[in-house]
Amino acid sequence: MRGVTRRFDGLIALDDVSFTVQPGEIVALLGPNGAGKTTASRIIGGILTPSEGDVLVDDVSLRNDPNTVRSRCGFVTDQPSLYERMPLRAYLTFFGRLYDVHEPARRAAELAKLLGLDDVLDRRLGTFSRGMRQKVAIARALVHDPPVLLLDEPATALDPEMAQTLRSFIVSLRARHRAILLTTHDLDEAQRIADRVVVLFRGRVVRIGATGEIRSAGKPQYTVTFAGDGALARTALSRVGIDAQPASGSDGLSALRFTTDDPVRTNGQALRALIDANVQVVTLSVDERSLEDAYMQILQEARA
Amino acid sequence: MKAWLIAWREIRWEVFLDRASLLRTGIFVLLPLFLVLANGGIGRGAGGDAALLGIAVQCVIFPAFSGVALIAATFTAEKENGTLVPLLAAPIRDLDIVVGKLGGMVITVMAASLVTLGAGYVIAAYRYGLARVAEVFTPELLYALLVLAFLYLITTGSITMIVAARVRSSRAAQQLAGLVIAFSAALFGGLGFIASQLGEGWPLLGLGVALVLFDVLALELARRAWQRGEVIARV
Repeated sequence: MRGVTRRFDGLIALDDVSFTVQPGEIVALLGPNGAGKTTASRIIGGILTPSEGDVLVDDVSLRNDPNTVRSRCGFVTDQPSLYERMPLRAYLTFFGRLYDVHEPARRAAELAKLLGLDDVLDRRLGTFSRGMRQKVAIARALVHDPPVLLLDEPATALDPEMAQTLRSFIVSLRARHRAILLTTHDLDEAQRIADRVVVLFRGRVVRIGATGEIRSAGKPQYTVTFAGDGALARTALSRVGIDAQPASGSDGLSALRFTTDDPVRTNGQALRALIDANVQVVTLSVDERSLEDAYMQILQEARA
Repeated sequence: MKAWLIAWREIRWEVFLDRASLLRTGIFVLLPLFLVLANGGIGRGAGGDAALLGIAVQCVIFPAFSGVALIAATFTAEKENGTLVPLLAAPIRDLDIVVGKLGGMVITVMAASLVTLGAGYVIAAYRYGLARVAEVFTPELLYALLVLAFLYLITTGSITMIVAARVRSSRAAQQLAGLVIAFSAALFGGLGFIASQLGEGWPLLGLGVALVLFDVLALELARRAWQRGEVIARV
């Protein structure tokens, strides 16, 4: 996306948004409701036209040649949105023909087999379960073997097992050099499979980066667990200039958390202060910041 | 070609598998035939000719009325179920979607009009005599009536599509389709009456030309109303 702005009746849904997705890469598009995620993926898929800016797919401009861009994108929405009266075979063949697929009926059978739907090829879609319907939506998006996949909340309302299967399938598509834009609210899912993250807030990009980088950004946090009085330990740490906050402990232990730019010096000071105060330290460990923590901090900063 | 794919899908999987559509179309097909059967008798002269002409008009226009409701239903159902999104994501022109969906309904309804007209002809010939019916139902008239039904469908169908693009529920679209049917029936009846009073030939031709021009305008407006951005903004 290059400097894309989209307005709806005077309301700005996207404001000068730019980012890229490379082949063989999964980019997670994150943001609160109304941030513009779905609008962004619909613009890339050629369903909506940008008010300003452009989208390039394999150097083909959406403004100049929207149908070529559409033919290179596969689009999956949170709602499978199927023609309920059609059987699976007829449905996939219909979309295969719309995308000018060579031998669409053969491709339909091939995709059904790939997604484990080959035994229901002639069953009407209206009789399918939620998980099966989402698989059909994925098959529809893959019918023309597109280099770009736009997945808008694909795992919504799927049970954990089905969501796991879907996740594995998305990862397998990355291995086949597809460029994948995953729009999601599921930060755990994004953390597991996304190579990079784009955070949108009120239509603007507020953070772009590798998932690992975004998680590790900011001061590292450390947690000390101990047996004994939490207030005493906190006072001992504050005497050496460490501002520790209570954290949730386990197995009857107390815990305090603090941040530092200089763990070599601060952690040693902390341990000495606690031992001098007769606090029985059990562990001192660095916290792995989750994508969710990083995301919440990014949003907090964006709101500020 | 892609418009035809969409049209065929509509006919094969939506119209023929939708019991409500079939029932509604069936009623509009049988109603004019029932009116032919219920008609006491057709006299000689201009009055009888007008009554026979009325029968022929009913046979083609009544099924066309069902088409307006069919068009409203198909477009709003796509919006309500979200099935429009994958269609709009496909590499097809906006015009193909409009023409395909409209075409599917028009083909179905024109087939119903043709069947009704044929059946009406046969029943009228049986009741009033073949020679009497053939005298009024000339091939040119039958052809003109089918063209009229076609133009009526395109015009009202386009208007219904514009309405369907704006409203949010199929119930609202059906209510507005009902209004379109009532208004168009009154308008067509009135214009046809005025044209027939002005004399034969040119006024009717003028009405036909006006309808064609209105069709082109209505189709263009429908295409604009169903542009990807416009529709999705309202889904």
